Amino acid sequence: MSQTAHAADHPSTKDYVRIAIFLAVLTAIEVALFYLDEAVDMNGWDGPLLVGLSTIKFIAVVGWFMHLRFEDSFLSRFFSAGFVLAMTLYGVMLAAFGAIAIFG
Amino acid sequence: MADTFELEESADIPNSHAGDHHVVHESTGIDNRKLGMWVFLSSEFLFFGAFISNYLLYGNRDFDSVVPRDIYDIPFTSISSFVLLMSSLTMVLAHHALSTGDQNGTKTWLMATALLGSVFLGGQVFEFYEFVTVKDMTLTSNPASSAFYMLTGFHGAHVGIGILMLLSLFGIARRQGGLSEKHGMNLELVGLYWHFVDIIWIVIFTIVYLLGAS
Amino acid sequence: MTTTASRPASTIFRRPRATEGFWSWITTTDHKKIGIMYGYAAFFFFIIGGVEALLLRLQLAGPNGDFLTAAEYNAMFTTHGVTMIFLFVMPVSAAFFNYLLPLMIGARDVAFPRMNALSWWIFIFGGLFLYSVIFFGDVVPPAGIADGQGVVVAGNIDPADQTLLGGLPDGGWFLYQPNAGPEYSPGTAIDFALIGLQILGVASLISSINFIVTVFNMRAEGMRLLRMPVFVWMTLVVAFLLLFSLPIIAVALFMATFDRSFGTLFFQATGGGDPILWQHMFWLFGHPEVYILILPAMGIVSEVLPTNSRKPLFGYAAIVFAGGAIAFLGFGVWAHHMFSSGITPVAQAAFGLSTMTIAVPTGIKIFNWMGTMWGGRLRFNTAMLFSIGFVAMFVIGGLSGVTHSIVPSDWQQTDTYYIVAHFHYVLFGGAIFGIFSGVYYWFPKITGRMLNEKLGKAHFWVQFIGFNLTFAPMHWLGLQGMVRRTWRYAPEAGLGPWNLAVTIGAFTIALGIAIFWVNWIYSKRKGEPSGLDPWDARTIEWTIPNPTPAYNYAVPPVIHSLDDFWHQKYTEDDEGRPVRKEGADELIERLDHEGRNPKSPIHMPAPSYFPFIMAMGLPLIGYGIIYHTSIIGKALLVIGPLITIGALIGWGIEPLEETEDHDEHGDGQGGELVGARTS
Repeated sequence: MSQTAHAADHPSTKDYVRIAIFLAVLTAIEVALFYLDEAVDMNGWDGPLLVGLSTIKFIAVVGWFMHLRFEDSFLSRFFSAGFVLAMTLYGVMLAAFGAIAIFG
Repeated sequence: MADTFELEESADIPNSHAGDHHVVHESTGIDNRKLGMWVFLSSEFLFFGAFISNYLLYGNRDFDSVVPRDIYDIPFTSISSFVLLMSSLTMVLAHHALSTGDQNGTKTWLMATALLGSVFLGGQVFEFYEFVTVKDMTLTSNPASSAFYMLTGFHGAHVGIGILMLLSLFGIARRQGGLSEKHGMNLELVGLYWHFVDIIWIVIFTIVYLLGAS
Repeated sequence: MTTTASRPASTIFRRPRATEGFWSWITTTDHKKIGIMYGYAAFFFFIIGGVEALLLRLQLAGPNGDFLTAAEYNAMFTTHGVTMIFLFVMPVSAAFFNYLLPLMIGARDVAFPRMNALSWWIFIFGGLFLYSVIFFGDVVPPAGIADGQGVVVAGNIDPADQTLLGGLPDGGWFLYQPNAGPEYSPGTAIDFALIGLQILGVASLISSINFIVTVFNMRAEGMRLLRMPVFVWMTLVVAFLLLFSLPIIAVALFMATFDRSFGTLFFQATGGGDPILWQHMFWLFGHPEVYILILPAMGIVSEVLPTNSRKPLFGYAAIVFAGGAIAFLGFGVWAHHMFSSGITPVAQAAFGLSTMTIAVPTGIKIFNWMGTMWGGRLRFNTAMLFSIGFVAMFVIGGLSGVTHSIVPSDWQQTDTYYIVAHFHYVLFGGAIFGIFSGVYYWFPKITGRMLNEKLGKAHFWVQFIGFNLTFAPMHWLGLQGMVRRTWRYAPEAGLGPWNLAVTIGAFTIALGIAIFWVNWIYSKRKGEPSGLDPWDARTIEWTIPNPTPAYNYAVPPVIHSLDDFWHQKYTEDDEGRPVRKEGADELIERLDHEGRNPKSPIHMPAPSYFPFIMAMGLPLIGYGIIYHTSIIGKALLVIGPLITIGALIGWGIEPLEETEDHDEHGDGQGGELVGARTS
C-alpha cells in the first residue's frame, strides 16, 4: 500500500483536537470512578471499568495519533503481536505465582 | 518449476531502474525507518510488561514499611497524566503541521510537546521527592517500592530521551530553517516513540495508581 | 576498482573515506566487513571458551582433583558458558547473517548499515568489558553464614583462593539469585557479568530490528517470501526471537544490577523479594535463547544438504513453517528449566506438555533433511560431513531433551551431567557442527578460495570422535549421579574412568580445532581458487563473483522461483532428474564477468565514525555503575551517556549525499561511488 494514499484519510487538526478532548474526558471519568469506588462499594466493577476505559484511550492514541488505523495492516499485526505476546507470557508467569487466582 | 505457494502480500515496488544507481526499494511499501520504529516499539511491550507485572507481583510486599499504594496522590498524578496525554496532541499537531508545510507551526508544536513532557517529568521528580523525603519510601524500602520506582523511573527515562529527541529536532529545524524530508521522517518516528511512551503511561496510571491505591 | 565521490565537509568530523586499511575497518558500514569482524571475534572467544573447558576437564579428569580450586572451578564453568553462548555462537551466527543475508535476497546491504556497524561495535566492546573483569573484578568471600547450630562459618571462598581465575564471575551463566546477589556474591565480578550481558543484549536487539526490516523490505524483485532460502527464513525467525526475548532479560539484568549496586529488593528473600522471579524472567529469555542458538545452524544445514545432494530441499514450506513453529512454541516452555524449583504441579504438567510439542516441528525438519538426502547424488565434502553430523548429533541431543520433558524423569536428571550431555549434543553437535559446515561451504564466497578438503576431513573426523568421546559418557555419568557444577568427586563414586575418557575427548576436540586453524590460515593464502560456482549451488549468492565485490550485485537480480540459480542452470528430464542446460557454463562465465564490471557507478553507504564512538559510551556507563561510589565512577556516569548521545546527534546530522543523489537507504547517510566504469 503506498504511503501517499493515506493523505486522503489523514485526520485534520480539528479531528485531533476532538480526540484529545475525548481522551481528557475519559481520564476524568476514570478519576471519578476512582473516587466513586472509594465512596461506594462497586462490587469489583471498578477494575473492569477502569481497564475498559484505559483500553479505549490506548486504542485511540495508537489508532489515530500513531496513525495505525491508516497504515498498512502489516504494522498493526506486528504491533499487536508484541502486545499479545507480552500479555500471554507475563499472564502465565503471574499465574504461576498464584498472583492471578486462576489455578495452582 | 513453479512454487506451489503464494503468500498474500503487498505488491513489490518494481526495481526496474537498471541504469539508475538509486533504488528506494521497500518490498512491503512501508518506509524502512517507519517499519523499524514499529518493530522496536512492539518489543518495548515486553520491556514494560516485565516491570508492570513485577509491580503487580510485589505491590503489597511491604516488609513493614510504606508501600506505594498507601501514599499515592491521585489528584496530582491525574493532572500529570492529563499533561502527558495533551503532549500527545501537540506531538501529532507538530507532525500534521510539517505535512502541510507549516515549518513554524512544526517548531511551535515540537517545543510545546517538549515543554509538556518536561512538566510531566517535573511532576514525577516532585512526586518521587515527596515520597522519599516526606513519606519515607525509598528505592530500597521494600520490594513494592523497588518495583514502583523502577517501573516509573524507567518510564521517566524514556520520557527524558523523548524530550532530548524533540529538542534535537527543534534545534535542527531552527538551524536549517525547517525540516527536510529526511528529518520529516525523523519527526514522525519521534512521534511514534512519544505516543508509545504515552500509552504505556495510560496503562501504568490505571493499573498501578487507580487500581492499586488502597 | 573503487572510486569515491567527494563529500561535503560540514560535519563534526570529516567523513571518513578509507576503503582499505585499518581505518576502513573502524568506520565500515559494509555488511560483509562487519560479518568478517564478527566471525574473527567469535572464533577468538571460541578459543578462550575452549581453554576454559579444558581447564575444567583437567580438574575433573580424576577423583579429588586439585588442578583448580573450587573458586576457580566455579569461575571457569561460568565464563565457559557465558563465552560460548554470548561470545561465540551468537556472534558467529551474526557473522553469517551479516555476510549472507543481503546476498541471499539480492540486496546491496542491510536496511540500516550504520546501525549494523553499531551492533558490531557494541558487541565487541561489551565482550571486552565483560572480560575486563580479569583486571578489575574481585570476588570477596561473603559474610559469614551461620550453620544449623547458629555457628558462623567462613564463607565458601577461602581468602587464599583470591587467584586471578578465582576473581572471575562465578554464579553460573544463569546467575541465579540470591546466590549471585549482593549478600552471597559480594565484590564486583558478578556485576561485570550482569552489565556485560546487558550491553551484549543491546547489540543483538539493534541487530534484530535491522534484519527484520531488511528481510521484509530489501528483497530483490521477484524474491517473494516463500522463494527466500531457508537460511534467510531462519535469520528472520531468530530476529523475532531476539526482538521479543531480549527485553525480558534486560529488565531482569537491571533488577539484579540494582539489587547489587543500589540495594533494591527484587530478588533478596531476606528483604521480601522472590528469587524465583529471577528464574522465571531469566528463562523467559533463556529458552528462546537456545532456539536463537540452534536455528541459524538449521538454516545453514538446509542450504548445504540440498546443494550436496543435488536435489531440492524436501518440503521447503514445511521446514519454513516448522522453524516458525519452533520459535513460537519456544516461548511457551521456559519453566521446564524450573521443574525442581518449587513451581506448582499444575505448572509442571503444563510446561512438560508444552515442551513435548516442540518435538513435532523439530521432527518435521529432521525427516525433511533426511528426505532431501534420500535418492540424491551425495557429495561427501567437508561441509556435507558437518551437516550430516549435525543431523545425527542433533537427533541424539533432541532425544535426551524429550526425556527431560517428562517431569518426574527430569527430577532425577536435573543438575546432573545428563543435562550437560543433552545441551552439548544440541549446541556442539548441533549448532557448532552446523557452523563449521557453513564455514567450509561459504569460505569461497568470502575469500575466493577453497578450504583444503584433506585437512577438512581430518578436522571433521577428529572433532567428531573427540566430541562423542567427550559428551556421550556424560549421559551415563549423569544417570550414575555425577552432579553438575561441582568441582570434584570422590574416588568411591566410581566416576573416574569415564571422566578420564571425557577429558581425553576434550583434548581431541582441541586437536580438531587446531587442524581447522591450520586449514584456515593455509587456505586463505594458498587455497585453490574457487571460481564463481564451486559447489554447483542453488541460491543466488553464488551468481556473483568470489570473493564478493564491494557492491554485491552489479545488476540487481530478478528472481523467478525458489532456487533461482539452479533453474538458470538446469531443467528436468521426463523422470524429474536434473539436466544441465547447454548454456550453463557460458552463463557462469558471463555472470562472473558482469559481476566484476558494473556498467554504471554504484552507490554504497558511506563509512562513518559514529557507530564506533557511540558504542564506546556503553562500557563506560558500565564501569560507572560498578564504581559509582567513587568519583571516577560518578564521572563515567556522566561521560558515558554524553559520548553516546553526542555520537547519536552527530550521526543524525551526518549530511545527505551530494545534491544529485538521493537517499538510497532512507537513513540519510552519504554514499560512495564504486564501480570501474562511468559511462
